[in-house]
Amino acid sequence: MAPQASAGPSGRSETGRAARVRARGGRPALRDPLIVLVLLMAGTFDWLSGNPIHSVLLFAAAAAVAWEAARAHRRGQGRPTAHPATAGGASGRIAVAGGLAFAVVVGGFGRYSWPATVAVVSVGAMAIAAAWRRPVQAGSERARLDPVGAAVWAAAFVALGVLELTNLLLQPSLKADSYAHPTLSVLTDPILASHPGRSVALLVWLVVGWFLLKR
Amino acid sequence: MSSHSVTLALYVFVVQAGIALELLGRTGRTRIPPLGVVFSSVMRTRSARIGIVTAWVWLGLHLFAR
Repeated sequence: MAPQASAGPSGRSETGRAARVRARGGRPALRDPLIVLVLLMAGTFDWLSGNPIHSVLLFAAAAAVAWEAARAHRRGQGRPTAHPATAGGASGRIAVAGGLAFAVVVGGFGRYSWPATVAVVSVGAMAIAAAWRRPVQAGSERARLDPVGAAVWAAAFVALGVLELTNLLLQPSLKADSYAHPTLSVLTDPILASHPGRSVALLVWLVVGWFLLKR
Repeated sequence: MSSHSVTLALYVFVVQAGIALELLGRTGRTRIPPLGVVFSSVMRTRSARIGIVTAWVWLGLHLFAR
């Protein structure tokens, strides 16, 4: 995937570009508290919805992000940039085989059962650890998004979030589903009721996780 | 048209819009980047990476775990 940013001219305009880059540097400083706030809010709503295990994960992640942001701030190393992960050849085939086996086996466990919980939590913990431990390289530049393109994608995600939240709040209560105003998880219930459906959904979940860890 | 149908139609619309944006982004002829580029940019800091991966883990817990 090609970077979206274009190289700017040097000289007078380069000075202006550097100023813009410095100005952009302020955004991540606001981003960390925003991530912490979103995680705390999500954890609170999950707690109110009767999912204490989920909310503990979200609160722990909020604490971890806050701690990491404070540590990076103290170091004064600027914003680290991650190396994209690569996996190919034998390791890639092993990962695919492992993912398929996981989806088939764990899909056989009952939904919300302890074996399924342990399996998903284990994979999730490994993924968070991998995201945390990914080598970082301070000072290097990632592709900067075109503001218009970023706004369009942000609008799509916000629309999805607003739609989901609207349906959640239109339910009789946070713990009671609604046929008239189904959330995405309610819509997936019939699919996740069967072993093949759960296996396919788990495989999709793993693929999305792999996609994210490669960023 | 029932509320259920309207809700489904809205979800389908948002998903189709996302697919359209991805296809537009992959042409390289618009200012819209593919989703992979968006996440690469957003996840360039460790804290953002942890936050987004946590959201993915939460989704798995929400759908499958207690």
